[in-house]
This record gives sequence, C-alpha cells and structure tokens, in this order.
Amino acid sequence: MLQIRNLHVSVADKSILKGIDLTINAGEVHAIMGPNGSGKSTLAQVLAGREGYQISAGSVQYLERDLLPLTPEERARAGIFLAFQYPLEIPGVANVQLLRTALNSQRRARGEAEMDAIDFLEYVKDKLVLLGMDDSFLYRSVNEGFSGGEKKRNEILQMAVLEPRLAILDETDSGLDIDALHVVAQGVNSLRRPERAIILVTHYQRLLNLIVPDQVHVLAGGRIVRSGGSELAEVLEHKGYAWLGDEAEFMETHL
Amino acid sequence: MITPIAYQEALSHIDAPSSFAALRQTALRKFLQAGLPDSYQEDWRYISLEHLERMPLHAPLAPSGVLPALEDYPGALLAYQDDRLVWQDTTLPASVLGTLTDAIGGGAATWSPSAFGTIAGSGSVGSSLTQLNAALWREGACLRVPAGERLRQPVFLRFAAAEADAMLYPRVFINMAVGSDAILVEHFLGDPGIEYWQNPVTEINLEAGARLTHLRIIEDSNLATHTGLSAVNLDQDSSYRALNLKLGGLVARHQLDLTLTGAGAEARLDGVFIADGRCSTEQHLRIVHQAPHGKSRTLYRGLADGRGRGVFDARVEVRAHADGSDAQQSSRNLLLSPHAEIDAKPQLEIYADDVKCSHGATVGSLDEDALFYLRSRGIDGDNARQLLLQAFIGEALGLLDDTGLRDWLMPRLLACIPRSHPKESRP
Repeated sequence: MLQIRNLHVSVADKSILKGIDLTINAGEVHAIMGPNGSGKSTLAQVLAGREGYQISAGSVQYLERDLLPLTPEERARAGIFLAFQYPLEIPGVANVQLLRTALNSQRRARGEAEMDAIDFLEYVKDKLVLLGMDDSFLYRSVNEGFSGGEKKRNEILQMAVLEPRLAILDETDSGLDIDALHVVAQGVNSLRRPERAIILVTHYQRLLNLIVPDQVHVLAGGRIVRSGGSELAEVLEHKGYAWLGDEAEFMETHL
Repeated sequence: MITPIAYQEALSHIDAPSSFAALRQTALRKFLQAGLPDSYQEDWRYISLEHLERMPLHAPLAPSGVLPALEDYPGALLAYQDDRLVWQDTTLPASVLGTLTDAIGGGAATWSPSAFGTIAGSGSVGSSLTQLNAALWREGACLRVPAGERLRQPVFLRFAAAEADAMLYPRVFINMAVGSDAILVEHFLGDPGIEYWQNPVTEINLEAGARLTHLRIIEDSNLATHTGLSAVNLDQDSSYRALNLKLGGLVARHQLDLTLTGAGAEARLDGVFIADGRCSTEQHLRIVHQAPHGKSRTLYRGLADGRGRGVFDARVEVRAHADGSDAQQSSRNLLLSPHAEIDAKPQLEIYADDVKCSHGATVGSLDEDALFYLRSRGIDGDNARQLLLQAFIGEALGLLDDTGLRDWLMPRLLACIPRSHPKESRP
C-alpha cells in the first residue's frame, strides 16, 4: 500500500529525514518509535502533505501512485488520514459541519452521492458511541475548549467517520490519562480492517500494549535504525533509546 | 474642485418641504464654508474624497419611470431610487411609516420636528457632509413607532442608485416612543458598474425603554462612494442593537455616533466589513456614555484582500458622573493578501470613576495550520478557506438569528467573501 524509498526531507535547509525506507501493506499496523526530535512527526506531516518541507530525494508510492505531488485534500480523498498530535481549535465551525463537509468532499471525489444532514446523523451515531462521546460533541466548535483527551478522541472520531485506507496517528497517546488511553486504543482497534493500514507514531511503548503492532520501527537521527516485531517495543521500554545511540551514531558517521 | 454652483444648482431643484427652505440654505452655506473633508482632519486621514472633485456630479434627473427589479424583502418596504420613492409595500399606517416629506407636510398635528436635524447635528467631526445632506436631501423615510407598540415585521428601507454620477442624499428619521420595539433594515445599493455618491444621514431617537434592532447594509456598486452617518440617542433603559455590514462600494465610510443620554441604556454594535480589490472602507464609531449604568458592546470583524484597505476606529467616552458604565470593544481583522491593510484604532476616554471598560484589537492573517487541518480531511483549499472566513465573521452575526433574517442575508453576505487566488490552492 505504501512504499517509502530513500526519503530525504529538510526544513529551512536543516536535514530532518535522511533516507527513510519503509513498506507497509494493507491490514498491517506499524509503530514508529524514537526519541524526541528524531523526525517521527516530520514523516507523519510529509505523508499528509503539509507545506514547508523540502523533499530533496526519494519517493513515496501509495496505492501504486506517486504521493508527493498530491495536495493534502487529494491525499485525504485517496484515503490518507492524519490524526494530529496537536488537533487545532476552530472557533465557529461546528464539529458536525467539519465532519459532514469532509465526508461529502471525499464522497464527491469518489463519485458517490453526498450524505444529507439526517442520514449523516444516523451514520455518525454509532461512531460517537464507539468513542464514548455524546451528541453534544457534534455541535461544539471543533476542539474549542476540549480537554486533551477529548481532542484525541475527536481525532479518532474523524477517522471513524472518514474510514481511511491509511491512518497515521501522530502521538495520539500523548497527554492521555490511562482511561482515555483505553478508550482511544479501543476505538483504533475496532477500526482495524484487512484493507486498512495504520501507522502509530509514538514515543512510549504503553500504547503498543493496547494496540499491538505487526512491526515496530525505531527512528533516530532521521533514519530507521532498527525494525522488528512488537517485542522490539518492549526492549525499548526497558532499555530506553540510549542503547541505540551507538548504532545511530555509527550510521550517522558511516552511511 | 466641484464648484459651489453644482450644489446650488442641486438645491434649486428641491422645493419641498417649503418650511425647510431657510434651513437648507443655512446648511449649504455651512457646507460650502467647510468644504469636503480632507486628509488634514484626523477622522479623514486614511480615506480620500478627492475623486469626487473630478466627477461630473449632479443631482439626479427626473426618474425614468421604470420600476427596478426588487429583491424579496420579508417585511414592510419603502423603496427609493435616485432619491425618489418608487415603490412601497406596507400595511403600517402613514403615521407610523411614510416618506419624510409626507411626515413633515402632515403638519404639527402628526409631526414634532423638534428632534429632526438635532441628533445628527450634535457635533461629529466631518459634519460638513451632514450639513450637505441637510441642505440637499430630497426624500427620505420617517418611522415613528407609537408608545408600547411592537412592530411584528421588519421595516426595510431600500436606497438604490440607478443614474451615473448622481449625488444622493437619503434621509431617515426614526423615533421609537416609550417602550416600543422594532426591527429596521437600511439597504444601500446601486446598479453595478456605475459611479455615484450616496451621502445618507439617519437619525434615531429611542425614548425610555424603547428597543430597536437595526441592520445597515452597504451593498453599493463597486465604483460607488458611500459616506453615511447613523446618529443615535438612547434614553433611559432603551436598547439599540445594530449590525453594520460593508459589502460593496469602492470608497465606503460609515460614521456611527451614539449617545447614551439616559441611565441604564444599552447598545450593542456589531459589524462586518470586507474590502477587496481596490476598495477602501472606514468604520468610525463614537460612543458617549453620558448617564450612569449604560452598557455598550462593540464587536467588529474585518476582512481585506487584494489591495483593499480597512479602518476600524472606535472611541468610547465615559463622561463624568456616568458611573457604573460598562463598555467593551472587540475588533478582529484578517488580511488575505500581502497588499491589503487594516488599521484598528480602539480608544477609551474615561472621566468617571467606577467603570468597566476594555478593548481589544487584532490584525492577523488566516491560520495556515487550521487551513491544513481542514484540507487534510479532504476539504479543498478554497472551501476550507471559506469555512474559516465564515466562522470568523460569524462571530459578529448573532443578531441575524434574533431578527429572523439570517436566511435573507447570508446568501448576499457569502457572495462577498473573497475567494482564494488560484495559486494558493496548490501546496
């Protein structure tokens, strides 16, 4: 579904990603871990089409097409979804308005009929239950005055409504208490499908106890320095990222 | 410059009402002494009326007799074209709603002109234009809502321009008697593509406990000049709520002079102005708290695109002994192009103790992060931008729900929100 080859990305001439290779197949859940500043969020943003990044080398293929020339909205319509690390507050735009406008933009792009307000409410009802949210969330301004946990749940609600092919969850676990973490994890698990791939970007292993990944990649210094099964996350939890330091440094100097 | 003869010529064509002939002469003399406001006056520092001097301005000629196509107005309607009443659709008695000349001509029995001319006369800077209106108004509207009465439908006053290079001086007088309640909509517009100058004056008097909700919409042609004044007096415990919308015009200026003369009066002044292309627009508000326990709320939202320029200039004065006054101002503005400009100038002058006053003004640009957030959900750049702009100005549109006019107004308002430039919709 997604093939990243030798991806180099810089911001304002500062090199952030220095040759990422990553292949993700439909139905898989991949975790990308790494210390702060390793480039995890940059990778997530680049995949979603955020402006302001220079892609100096490499390629990204998504569903057999070149992803990089696409606008953020074209990527979303092609099934890519990014759950933001810091979801934005948008005063004056009701949550339901964002959800329905987004869904209908995507449906229109796929040549499907738009959903009217009544059908949409019916459609969104079960998704709210899934995330433990009540109707009032629909009529509040997007994320305005939401708690940290509510914002993250709202991101997963958007994911549930938009039903992406490839979901990228950028530190969705950060700032969550244990109860909220369980709700979010449960929501994500219920959205696992054979045709859907999920990338979990996280700093901590605790999310991965709840959403068990097929593969774990460690990003350090702008490169993937190690990949493995879910057991790799446990090793990281015990040893921290420091034990990878030598390896990252080695790659930094010699590759 | 425009020769005095042009104005005197215009005055020579106005005969009614005869009792006003001397007043008109005096007003014209005062205007000619002062001349058009120029940029040496603080209130006219940003906007220029120099172009008026180069236009072959004249009083509108005889009406064409062709009734203009009218929009749907959900209420009582007086429709004017080039300063003449061309259509009316109202079941209100003439003693409540009618033309100004009829009201004045009706004699002392129905008309007590004591307030006429005095509300607008009370000293706004740049009042030479008010004098000019007092000299040259040809026709206007008069709304007098009797004590305790509540009008069930909004009253619409439509002032349209159809003749190129016409100078138009709509005049409106509103008296809300004790405890009365009404919704008023003033709609200024003109044929697309013609140049003209509208210089309207609206005087509003609210007696004790009266309530007026006032929508004022500038939708003049994109070549027109609009210099309007709303002058409002609020007696004890009265309430004035206004939504001032600047959607059209090349040069558009609105002056709002509001005086809280009675204790416990309340004013809520909302506004949205949009300046795109080469438009310039100014909103000048003067709010004077003369009596104790008055409350004023000002909430304006401004958008400027292209080479548009906007000014928000609001001064709240709390006079001595106006204790317990509460005045809040908010002005937020968005620049949508690197060449657009908005100046926000909130000011407070406080001469009383025990007051609650605050003001806030911001000028910024559209939040790129919010734009990316919406686009990452599949909403295209132009629609994402529209959503954000609608939400932004929506903060000032609360009165539309109270008046039931949201459905009537929103299509015209949305049509005026600047669309994005093609290059911006690509990453």
